Amino acid sequence: MKSPRMVVLELDGWLARQLRELATESRWLIRAVRGVDTALSLVLERSPAVLLVQFEPSEDKPSLLTLIADVHRLAPDVPVVAVADSKLPDAERAAWTAALLDLGARYVLFPPLTKSVLEDVVSGLLTAAIRRVTGEEPALPLPRPVVPTKPAETVIDLADEDVEA
Amino acid sequence: MAEPPEPNRKGRPRGSGSFAWRAFFQQSTTPVFVLGKGRRLRFANAACETLIGMELADALGMVCSERRHSSPLAAALAPTPEAQAGKPDKVRRAAPTGRSGPPWWDISFMPLSGEDGLIGIVGYITVVGEAIPSTPKRVPASITTLREKHAGQFTFDLFAGTSATSVRLAAQLRHAAESTAPLWLIGERGSGKETAARAIHHNGKRRNAAFVGLDCAGLQPYLLESLLFGHGSILGTDHVGTLYLKDPSALPRDLQQRLAELFLQSAPGTPRLISGSTLTAGELVGEGKLVPTFHTALSVLEITVPSLRERLAELARFVSHFVPAAVVESGVLDVLRVQLWPGNLRELADTLAEAATLATDGPLKTEHLPRELRVRAGLAPLVASKPLPLDAILEAVEKRLIMLAMRKTNNHQGKAAELLGVFRARLGRRLEALKVPFSGSPAGAAPNHSPKPQQ
Repeated sequence: MKSPRMVVLELDGWLARQLRELATESRWLIRAVRGVDTALSLVLERSPAVLLVQFEPSEDKPSLLTLIADVHRLAPDVPVVAVADSKLPDAERAAWTAALLDLGARYVLFPPLTKSVLEDVVSGLLTAAIRRVTGEEPALPLPRPVVPTKPAETVIDLADEDVEA
Repeated sequence: MAEPPEPNRKGRPRGSGSFAWRAFFQQSTTPVFVLGKGRRLRFANAACETLIGMELADALGMVCSERRHSSPLAAALAPTPEAQAGKPDKVRRAAPTGRSGPPWWDISFMPLSGEDGLIGIVGYITVVGEAIPSTPKRVPASITTLREKHAGQFTFDLFAGTSATSVRLAAQLRHAAESTAPLWLIGERGSGKETAARAIHHNGKRRNAAFVGLDCAGLQPYLLESLLFGHGSILGTDHVGTLYLKDPSALPRDLQQRLAELFLQSAPGTPRLISGSTLTAGELVGEGKLVPTFHTALSVLEITVPSLRERLAELARFVSHFVPAAVVESGVLDVLRVQLWPGNLRELADTLAEAATLATDGPLKTEHLPRELRVRAGLAPLVASKPLPLDAILEAVEKRLIMLAMRKTNNHQGKAAELLGVFRARLGRRLEALKVPFSGSPAGAAPNHSPKPQQ
């Protein structure tokens, strides 16, 4: 299985920065991209992935929404999280949430965003995606990675050798 | 003679005369706050109280940090690492309160340094962006078009096979689409339960509203609760036509009960409930993983989505669906037909997609399929175990260690033997037996057994 990855499509790098700690703890990759095509090609590589798409509801940018629909069609196992860039009144927020979920998004976030919520959404969905690949039973959350310890015994490191003369 | 110290009154530090900094800040229309050395909130002026929607008395002493369990307000007011290091800094953050207010805060931090380092930080907030108008805007028409196009892909043709299993499934799905009764889909993982649910929705009575699929095992309960029942939630509006719960037994029982009560009421605007699981609702209730209401009232219809093993007769149809652009050799189907497919259609789709990436310049052949599939089909031999000749490996390791010891001791056999923990005579025998070359011994010639240490 290839390394699980978080593909983040945004302009300012804020989401990727918020997820860096989670990525380090879980040994997942973060791929911050700015192009729709790049994001699509990354999630189509057959590795467990979650896609975060930052969008601005006030702007009519169908390319981002088309991406969500395309990912749902071409890679239905890749969960998509839509992250709105601005606040909306409740009624409008509900309309957007329903529309995005209908297109195939798995979760929709609106400001104010906190790091913990973002981490919970992404780690939960990516853990589920990994389980689907490995076929394991649900076991949330992922155990913390084991920090490799130094071997107790003294070993002869053959890499200590110089280049053969 | 030193002047007598002034009384230390609140807001009037020593030497400040009659200046009262609290009153000074209170008059300011700029939201100002003061953090202590430990990032605790020590002061907020009236403008700041109004902005954060909280009185100072309630927030006093709050530690402003961006730690995982910090409140949104505490995280928003948290000083940056630069400010904590004593450098003025500015940061833009999402406003934590006021759901229809302006979206961003620009927060400037002015650290106050004393002789012992940082003693506090003064911050002021500038609201960025215009207030969101309260009149609801509609979702752009382009999204409506996109949704219609997306929905058009989920037709019953996806299930229109020729086998008896598929014919029965398609008929059941059509029947389910004519109803709005709660439905329970049973099937192995990857068998297409959610696709079936979407097909029912997009061909059913509520197709104009949204299909909302929730991964109950993949999201923490509070996130699902927030989406369903929180501010700006989708339930209680007329936006949702079908709610698909993927593995509802993964939900905590209180949330299961809350959902059950909602769907039992069947108030106007309540969406249709479709649940998907590997087990029936009755089996899950029996195992104590599901509240009984789901079995008694929320699984009125029950449809089993067959596994791929039961639909192997339609393999050609599935292959042409998953890789429509590829020309597939007939041998490929023979290989695919003898597999077990525990991951069902999802596994088949992944396998074909990977094979298609290898078959870039021609038809998709058996050699493009994963080796384990070809082995199972008898087309590729099992890889013989790689030989592990112990003597040869040990000799190679021994030779390298001796060469290393000789190099480290400058070809001094005595010291090398000591380093290796063997007698010198034994080292000499091994040098000869292993034909170890070292400086002073011509390449290919027998080693000199008594080399002089190089100086």
